[in-house]
Amino acid sequence: MTVFNTPTLDYGALLPILIVFIGAVIGVLVEAFVKPAMRRFVHSLLTPATLLVALFQVIANRETVTTTAAIGSVVIDGPVIIAQGSLLLLSLLALLFLLDVDSFAPEASALPGSEEEKRAIASGKQQTEIFPLMLFSISGMMLFSAASDLITLFVALEVLSLPLYLMAGLSRRRRLFSQESALKYFLLGAYSSAFFIFGAAFLYGYAGSITFPEIRNAVIASAGNDVILLIGIVFLSVGLLFKVGAVPFHAWTPDVYQGAPTPITGFMAAATKVAAFLATLRIFYTVLDGALWQWQLILTGVAIITMAFGSIVAIAQRDVKRMLAYSSIAHAGFLLTGVVAFNKAGLESSLFYLFAYGVATLGAFGIVTLIRDGQGEVTDLNRWAGLGKKSPAIASLFALFLLAFAGIPLTSGFIGKFSIFSAAYEGGLQSVVIVGVLSSAIAAFFYIRVIVLMFFTDSSDSSVSVTLPTRRSSIGVWSAGIVTVALGVLPTSTLAFITDLAIFAR
Amino acid sequence: MSVLTILGILPLLGALVVATLGKSDARRAKLVALITSIITALYAILVAVGFEIDRPGFQFIESREWIPTFGITYGVGVDGLSLVLILLAVILVPIVILAGWDEAESGRWSAKTFYILILVLETMMIGVFAATDLFLFYVFFEAMLVPVYFLIGGYGSGERIQAAVKFLLYSLFGGLLMLASMIGLYVMANDQIGKTFDISALSRLEISSTTEHLLFLGFFIAFAIKAPLWPVHTWLPDAAKSATPGTSVLLLGVLDKVGTFGMIRYCLELFPNASRTFTPLIITLAAISIIYGAFLAIGQKEIKRLIAFTSISHFGFIVMGIFAMTTQGHAGAALYMVNHGFSTAALFLVAGWMIKRRGSSMIADFGGLQRVTPVLAWSFFIAGLSGLALPGLSSFVSEILVLVGTYTRYPVAAVIGGFGIILAALYILIPVQRTLHGPTTPGNENLTDLNLREKIAIAPAIALIVLLGFYPKPALDLINPVAETTIAKVGFTDPVPTMGSER
Amino acid sequence: MESTITLTSNTLLYFVALPLFSSALLLLLGRRADRWGHILATAVAGATFVLGLIELLAMVGRDEYSRAIHQKVFTWISVGSFQVDAALLLDQLSICFVLLITGVGTLIHIYSIAYMAEDPDRRRFFAYLNLFIAAMLLLVLGDSFLNLYVGWEGVGLASYLLIGFWNKKAEYATAAKKAFVANRVGDLGLSIAIMIAFAVFGTVTFKGIEEQAESASQAAMVAIGLMLLLAAAGKSAQFPLQSWLGDAMAGPTPVSALIHAATMVTAGVYLIVRSNFIFDNAPTAQFVVVLVGAITLIFGAIIGMAKDDIKKALAASTMSQIGYMVLAAGLGPIGYAFAIMHLLTHGFFKAGLFLGAGSVMHGMNDEVNMRRYGGLARYMPITTVTFGLGYLAIIGVPPFAGFYSKDKIIEAAFNLGGSKGIIFGSLTLLGAVITAFYMTRVFMMTFLGKKRWSDDAHPHESPFLMWGPMVLLAIGSIASGFLLYSGKRLEYWLKPVVDKHGHSHEEFLSHSTVTTLALSAVVIGVVIAIAKYRSEIPSTAPDKVSIFTKVARRDLLQDDFNEAVLMRPGQGLTKVLVATDEKVIDGGVRVVAGAALGSARGLRSIQSGYVRNYALLILLGVAVLIGAIWVITA
Repeated sequence: MTVFNTPTLDYGALLPILIVFIGAVIGVLVEAFVKPAMRRFVHSLLTPATLLVALFQVIANRETVTTTAAIGSVVIDGPVIIAQGSLLLLSLLALLFLLDVDSFAPEASALPGSEEEKRAIASGKQQTEIFPLMLFSISGMMLFSAASDLITLFVALEVLSLPLYLMAGLSRRRRLFSQESALKYFLLGAYSSAFFIFGAAFLYGYAGSITFPEIRNAVIASAGNDVILLIGIVFLSVGLLFKVGAVPFHAWTPDVYQGAPTPITGFMAAATKVAAFLATLRIFYTVLDGALWQWQLILTGVAIITMAFGSIVAIAQRDVKRMLAYSSIAHAGFLLTGVVAFNKAGLESSLFYLFAYGVATLGAFGIVTLIRDGQGEVTDLNRWAGLGKKSPAIASLFALFLLAFAGIPLTSGFIGKFSIFSAAYEGGLQSVVIVGVLSSAIAAFFYIRVIVLMFFTDSSDSSVSVTLPTRRSSIGVWSAGIVTVALGVLPTSTLAFITDLAIFAR
Repeated sequence: MSVLTILGILPLLGALVVATLGKSDARRAKLVALITSIITALYAILVAVGFEIDRPGFQFIESREWIPTFGITYGVGVDGLSLVLILLAVILVPIVILAGWDEAESGRWSAKTFYILILVLETMMIGVFAATDLFLFYVFFEAMLVPVYFLIGGYGSGERIQAAVKFLLYSLFGGLLMLASMIGLYVMANDQIGKTFDISALSRLEISSTTEHLLFLGFFIAFAIKAPLWPVHTWLPDAAKSATPGTSVLLLGVLDKVGTFGMIRYCLELFPNASRTFTPLIITLAAISIIYGAFLAIGQKEIKRLIAFTSISHFGFIVMGIFAMTTQGHAGAALYMVNHGFSTAALFLVAGWMIKRRGSSMIADFGGLQRVTPVLAWSFFIAGLSGLALPGLSSFVSEILVLVGTYTRYPVAAVIGGFGIILAALYILIPVQRTLHGPTTPGNENLTDLNLREKIAIAPAIALIVLLGFYPKPALDLINPVAETTIAKVGFTDPVPTMGSER
Repeated sequence: MESTITLTSNTLLYFVALPLFSSALLLLLGRRADRWGHILATAVAGATFVLGLIELLAMVGRDEYSRAIHQKVFTWISVGSFQVDAALLLDQLSICFVLLITGVGTLIHIYSIAYMAEDPDRRRFFAYLNLFIAAMLLLVLGDSFLNLYVGWEGVGLASYLLIGFWNKKAEYATAAKKAFVANRVGDLGLSIAIMIAFAVFGTVTFKGIEEQAESASQAAMVAIGLMLLLAAAGKSAQFPLQSWLGDAMAGPTPVSALIHAATMVTAGVYLIVRSNFIFDNAPTAQFVVVLVGAITLIFGAIIGMAKDDIKKALAASTMSQIGYMVLAAGLGPIGYAFAIMHLLTHGFFKAGLFLGAGSVMHGMNDEVNMRRYGGLARYMPITTVTFGLGYLAIIGVPPFAGFYSKDKIIEAAFNLGGSKGIIFGSLTLLGAVITAFYMTRVFMMTFLGKKRWSDDAHPHESPFLMWGPMVLLAIGSIASGFLLYSGKRLEYWLKPVVDKHGHSHEEFLSHSTVTTLALSAVVIGVVIAIAKYRSEIPSTAPDKVSIFTKVARRDLLQDDFNEAVLMRPGQGLTKVLVATDEKVIDGGVRVVAGAALGSARGLRSIQSGYVRNYALLILLGVAVLIGAIWVITA
């Protein structure tokens, strides 16, 4: 008879994930037992508290390096610490905008425009499930970045995705549009997940194991030349590339970014990228490194196409959220150069870039939530004309974020671009660098267009105005702005911190 | 802390003071800006006095860690070349502020903002010349674009926005190519001597020739756009036309010099071999610029565009001098940068006043000003004569130096450049005749002559034009050592007199 | 050859500094100096003349090989081996010019006080005159090509300002510009010469180049020589850059006398003589010089026959006379002295003639058309006499100045020997005939015959301030020739500068033969003229004239030529380039931008909004990736 020995779990290492998860569960209980009027208030305390506690635990864990935290299915190492830290920080930032009252449908189940919706609005109901959903998603992301076997990875993927699908559909205004985008997101997500799990199956079939270390050994053993392995690699990559929004798996991005409630869009853009890219980096750096020359070229191609495509198509956008969506595609391309660089610098720069870009993105979307007319947010760029006159401060902040996206010196974006391109150059990928800078040049074109609109064009309609940002939102955009400049002018400490920690544990 | 750092901080302090003023308080903003810039100029002159001409290498050095992760330092220091250019910049700023006393009023934003932008720009101009760390230089090189962009777009006239965007995109494009090259250098430095951006360290790298050529191009194209050199010049006329006269003066007088300065400091010193390879090509482009710019200037109907094109011709001379790889050519080019700065400043400011008074910038709308506004007319005429390099005025010395310096190595190019002498007479004297001479045409009878403020503003520029024409020694003493060392670094020596043996 | 010693001096600077300073003063003070400006300017001019006399006396006092004196003022340009001092050199050659410039200059200052009395801008006029004196003195005193260049362009500027002095008239402004531009073409030659000189000799000082002249290659010397000739042609209105001189008559008449007759336009001759060490080693260049001189002397003479405008007629004659000088200078050591001699005598009589013309205009409300003169002798006796003396001098009647100087040139031309000698000799003779003809024509049309002027003109003799200088110049026109010629005084004087080695020239034609030929030429010319103009002269130019005359009236189509060959194509090219810049270069950039936008619009169409298309896209992506990886690994 076999002895069943209980799995040993290193709770300390797993605690951050667990905290967020538990927070989420409590959130659900809140929904069940607290009376509606109070829920929102409770969540507004519970959610940030959860995140903060988790953050402290992450900081406490920063020395920890273990591959056996959960019988080899989760790895906690420097990169994970950084990723989880950034995730929590970005989520806190996103929360500031999320907490603002009226981005979300009062009653998701009510038909758009129906009587009950009107009643719901009248009654001032609110869809407070958003907060536990967010926590679930965050916990999924944290796990996704730490997973070290294919099953955990897949489970984490779903845990982070499903809440996002839901949240994407909860926009208060243009609800049909929002729901349509949510459905698209869901269908395509499921579709790509299928590829992902399929790829995982191939890898298992090839390596006879689902754990990263053993797959790695198998890859090295066969020098990576094995059809099953290669198919596995491709399918797995598709799942990951879909999440990061790389061309040609990007198609969902513009629609979803536009349809989803703006704070959610910001959260997705910033946080999902962190999780997805860390997983991608881990897999290609520590699992498939044996097959480097099989995948490097392909990913290089994808990176190049993604940078170019994102930058070029953004030029033609008339809607600020779509514009930002395409810019996020372009940035996915830049980040991929960090992956294909395949060196420590690549890992470090990616981690820095992810955080810097996340902050700027949240700031940008945060500002989008403030530009409103009677009906709500105004995302039509032409109606942003003359913003510089109406509210110089906010316009300047937005300009700052755009300049950061464009990679102008003295902003975090420049340090990010510089470090990630030099990593790629170091990795012998000069061609990528050239394409990178050229796409940046193209990208500059539309960032500048927005600046021109805000500062040099006179406002056509007076209906558009900047809502006096609530304290939370203004804290949000300003802190985002400050961080963006700080990381541009004095990035040293951050960079040093990353450099010390950015080593994958195998 | 190096005096250069203090020098750079002064305008920023001024900008801060201006920022604290009330929006409506334009007058105070002007005064503060003017006083700040004057103090800065005086301090810079003080610094220059302390400069030891015979000591090789950089002086007033300061170097502190900035981003050690990438080996980036805050490194400043000047040699003769960067010093004269800094002087040029800090002397022009007060002139510009005084000359364009009211030009901020017509702007899109408050005068306050205008002067903040100007002062911030001044800091960056000082920084870009003083940087001894490539990364720091690049930061200033790019960050500079932002204030200029807003100065053109916010306070210019006509199609100012298109002009501003065109300027920005051209510059960004060049800048990003340069970024790629810079990254290349950084990575190679990392392999060979560790992470650093120190110019002198980078100049000692071993680079394979193909790589060196590519990296060189990255830098050169950026600088050629800045300078600007044919055929990447088309942003300049639009920008110069649309910007306020003051902004145009800083643009043509100083910012464009960053391009030619960069060619000397970075292209030549970091990539000597590539420089040698590309020299014939670049000399050709320079010769084309000289003739092309001159013809275009002759063909202009709008006075600001005309001046812009004359500058393109002059930049042709400067670039030719730089890549002639002779001491005379180099010194001439460097001196030309300074002289062009002052004479174009004078020309542009006076043109600005003419346009302001007449309410039109079309040459055809003027006529016979000499009798109506003699002082204005004389100022324009003298500035113009300097523009056509009349002996006795500053530009002549630099032009003849460039020509003799070029001829010893590239006779054909020098002779072609020589034809610029004839064309210059045309592109200066034609507008002079149309605007100043002839019968006073309707609309010009009651123009007012320069007032005291304007006279005070233009006087130093014209004085310098004449002084440097008769006695260029002070400038040359600063420039010569740099010229000699640079030539040596690139591995050239001046050709010895041939006694015509092979000619 | 004996070595020449050069003493250092510290007084030369004043020659340039004084007039320059007073000029600047008058310009800066503006109207405040109106009352006394002309007096200061004249005084300064006089002072420089006195300085010149003093220097001359000092010079005569020294032996012939230590007469040159030199002053280094300061180091002007010093870059590597390119060393140029602001330094002045006064030797036997330059002293001639100094005296001519300051002497004639002073007289014309005095003359102008009266001539410009009515002009509100008289102060400015005198400021320009002083500026000119300063620049011209710098030109002849500069010790290197670069210093010379400064003066060279300085006089160009002064001439530009003075031609355009009455630029209220648009065409005067144009004339000024034309003069400056034509000169600039010449300046290009000068600067190229400087470039070559530096490349070849590593220096641009006369002394430095002279010392190495023998060892340099022919080709280099020829190149420099031709470039210098181009410069000279520009300044001295020689073929093919002669066209500006006629229009330059737009300037006030004293200016025409001083700048465009006596001094500035002869700078080209100075340049060639000064550069003798180059031309002596570049026979080819020398021959071209002779050729240019010969062409111009005939060219100008022909134009002179056809002009009714008295100033333009005189201008044409100036062109032709300078042709003589250039030709002489082209003959090398034989000719230099005669070139200078003719230059000096010409300075006297041509200045005199112009002042005479000015005096006539003064009395005739600025009428310049000789067909509206006639019989003025009665009304302005002094002018008639002085003009007449100048007239006799220029056509070369003994013992007047022109006789000696021109005679020697003709002789020297024949002494070239061989076919060359015969050709050029006879050309100079022909020139003499025509000169005699058109000058007689001018004299008769102006002072003799019946009055043809309208009644509102009240011809009268000019005030003393005007005729005084005329008289002095007339005396010069009588005496100067003999003084310089007798005992080969000038030849010996200049020998140390222009003829160190001492040349031997064999006589091709005897002196007496040449004299006879020359005199008969003069007689022929005069006789024809008298025959033609004894009869009534129509007060408007007849248009039924030979095509030859028509062409001559149009300055032998020189302007038409320039317009057709230079101006038009130039303007065309400009238009084309402007269009290119707009359409092609800037257009190209715009095309790129447009392309980016277009492709953006195109690619955007992928974003159909249909999930099925997105899914298909993903599937395609997968297929591509698999294909790619297969390609890589296979």
